[in-house]
Amino acid sequence: MRSKSDGWRWLLILSMVLLPLSLLAGCGTKKTDVITSVEQLNEPGRKIGVYSDTAEDQLVARELPQAQIEYMKDHISAFIAVSQGKLDAFVYDRRQMELAIKSGQKGVRLLDATLGEGNRVAVGISPVTKFPDLEAKLNEFIAEIKADGTLDDMQLRWIVQNNETMPDIPVPESAPLHLVVGTTGSLVPYSYYAGTELAGQEIELARRFAAWVGAELEFKVYDFEGIVAAAQGGDIDCIMSNLFVTPEREEAIPFSDPYSLVEIGVLVRDAEQSGSASFWADIRENFQKTFLRENRWQLFLSGIGTTLLITVLSILFGTLLGFFTFMLCRNGHPAANAIARFCVWLVQGLPVVVLLMVLYYIVFGNVVISGKSVSVIGFTLVFGASVFSMMKTGVGAIDRGQLEAAYALGYTNLRAFFRVILPQALPHFMPAYKAEITAIIKATAVVGYIAVQDLTKTGDIVRSRTYEAFFPLIAVAVIYFVLAALLTFLVNRVELKIDLRKRTPEKIRKEVEGR
Amino acid sequence: MIELIHLEKKYNKACPLRDVNAVIHDGDVISIIGPSGTGKSTLLRCINMLERPTGGQILLDGTDITAPKYDLTKARRRMGMVFQSFHLFGHLTVIENLMLAPMDILKKSRKEAYETGVRLLKRVGLEGWEYQYPEQLSGGQKQRVAIARTLAMDPDVILLDEPTSALDPTMTGEVQAVIQDLARSGRTLLIVTHEMSFARAIGNRVFYMDQGGIYEDGTPEQIFDHPQKELTQRFIRRLKVLELNIDSCEYDFFNAASEIDRYCLQNVISPRTKYRIHLIFEELVQQILLPVLPEPHIRFTAAYSEKEKITDITVLYNGVPFDPASSENSLSYSVLKGTTAVLNYSASTEAGFTNRFQCIIPE
Repeated sequence: MRSKSDGWRWLLILSMVLLPLSLLAGCGTKKTDVITSVEQLNEPGRKIGVYSDTAEDQLVARELPQAQIEYMKDHISAFIAVSQGKLDAFVYDRRQMELAIKSGQKGVRLLDATLGEGNRVAVGISPVTKFPDLEAKLNEFIAEIKADGTLDDMQLRWIVQNNETMPDIPVPESAPLHLVVGTTGSLVPYSYYAGTELAGQEIELARRFAAWVGAELEFKVYDFEGIVAAAQGGDIDCIMSNLFVTPEREEAIPFSDPYSLVEIGVLVRDAEQSGSASFWADIRENFQKTFLRENRWQLFLSGIGTTLLITVLSILFGTLLGFFTFMLCRNGHPAANAIARFCVWLVQGLPVVVLLMVLYYIVFGNVVISGKSVSVIGFTLVFGASVFSMMKTGVGAIDRGQLEAAYALGYTNLRAFFRVILPQALPHFMPAYKAEITAIIKATAVVGYIAVQDLTKTGDIVRSRTYEAFFPLIAVAVIYFVLAALLTFLVNRVELKIDLRKRTPEKIRKEVEGR
Repeated sequence: MIELIHLEKKYNKACPLRDVNAVIHDGDVISIIGPSGTGKSTLLRCINMLERPTGGQILLDGTDITAPKYDLTKARRRMGMVFQSFHLFGHLTVIENLMLAPMDILKKSRKEAYETGVRLLKRVGLEGWEYQYPEQLSGGQKQRVAIARTLAMDPDVILLDEPTSALDPTMTGEVQAVIQDLARSGRTLLIVTHEMSFARAIGNRVFYMDQGGIYEDGTPEQIFDHPQKELTQRFIRRLKVLELNIDSCEYDFFNAASEIDRYCLQNVISPRTKYRIHLIFEELVQQILLPVLPEPHIRFTAAYSEKEKITDITVLYNGVPFDPASSENSLSYSVLKGTTAVLNYSASTEAGFTNRFQCIIPE
């Protein structure tokens, strides 16, 4: 019997060791040859990265049918992947990649050739927008700036000269209309943050259009994945974010006439370039770039503020929600309990991102509500569901005799709960509660999907500006650790106050004898 | 004064209390005894409404506490309860266990509650244990704290539900001594217990519970020395009863014999007594009665007292009045005489039988 169970244990340990090893082995087979032409990429086993949600995958499939396509979530990560040899090439907007290399992206270079005939760029229009005749006005406006040379001038300044000054565009006074433009804020030189302000060709385009049409302008910043959905839901009137016209997107939303053509370049690894200066000099430079240049620490501060706001409010409201739901269900009808269990099951069963998207685009689809508020509502539900489950478990662990003893002394049900049951259930669920707090602060990292600029989103924005992948990531990680530690510390202090078993003998004596 | 009127408690599958009627006077100290599963604890828990009765009434000084609008906390404030497994509050120290309810419910000042608590701990012999947590105490100490906690509310009535059952035998004494002390304090006490000598010594009344109610109610002397009713007698004398019915001359003798064997085995009856039961059954039923009864209807009952180690055998039968002493089979009768201490013939008072013959097998 013993030897049999031992055998199983060894097998389990062995498989746990082997599994990661086999994964490592899979990563180890990199091709390290130098790529000089597009044709070289057209062989089996080559990994070509493309930006998810664009048409480049079809282009690669057509031009390089032998290669394998990998979908990347953001271009900065793709650059790193190429420089590390995890991808053989990355196929993307050539101009942006040029800028990235110019701004200091190491270990990569561009092939001279371009792929395909380029991408048409147009304004994506919400099919449910309330803005009168938006499509017609956009087309008229685009035709006008094409004709008078404004568009060429904009492209010359932003893209060719890489001149980052935003020209003065008059803001219409007492505008009767309100225009909400969705943008990503992480695409140099089209839409990005210069310091704490949005800048770029698309931002200028939006301002010019607003001035031309006589509308008050508002920007909303989304992750690329969420931006088309935001237009579909009517959350924004149009998208100006160097958006390519693709067949799938055309099915989802209408587009204006295209106003520019983006060449598609191929980025490959440049093995000769390697790390500069010393480790510490790198760190210093990265720190400078990430935090100090353009006062980016202000961006981080506001990101931290947003993350903390969402987390703390969600914890407070979630605790209240979970607690009151539990109190209602405590002596409740089986039906009430079944409903509560169903809601908990629903909330805990959904990935948080999906829950947030459902809340933002479906439940509050027709209500004017900020992404922050929806985040607080979403995480309140998530946290409330956890608190409810925790209390059920914690209170369930207390012997029913405790309640009976309190009844027999003349306590009412509610009073007995607060004086006898809850204080004893507390130590049972506090560890889970603390774990849930650290979990929730990390979970808030997905709010970027619904146009909230939290800490993670700030990191992404800064990464897209500095082309430094690691430093902002690690900085963000450290900040999350510090925030989690801070919250846990606060909860520990509260726990010391409310957990009666943690009192010191002196304190008990003082409480009992009143001296 | 507590009056129980047609009290009934039904569960889905069981009905431990069918019809309970009793009047409990102020100052009564009542032990409640009876076999397991006869609703002793249920009765106690109904009296302070931890279990809501499904029928009948409980009058506390004339007020019906089972009425739906009645504020139960009022009744419970006057009735303390001590549980089998103590149920001390684990998050509080001993002294806080004693102070919590007086401060919360009776609105006593901290000082007053503390002083009462210290005095009561002294009374149950736990002076100096104020700042221990319940888990640091032995079972007997826990139960004494639980009693002190109940006393801190100064109740008129104290219900004790098997207060010593969860304790190991070395600790029952200290708890019983504390309860003895309570019994002299003039409060009304109801104690469910399995300790017969304690039940007899502690109170002025004993309830014997069986068959869904208070089966017999009397002073300890009445219940323990002269129980009037059959089940009480069986319980008090710890009687184990075997009943065999013979309704035909062709009954299965071997089956009857093996039932006697099983009965003796189950109740650890000595081989000597077992042999004698067999002998009496054979000589009396088989040899004397069956030959003279054309349509036999015989009930053979053996009752073995674990307490006194004697076996009481009663045989009821039909037909014309017939004393086995006058039997033609004098050999068999003399065997009977030789094995038993008392032989007694009388006319039966039970329906369906005309004759009753009783004999007793000594230890």
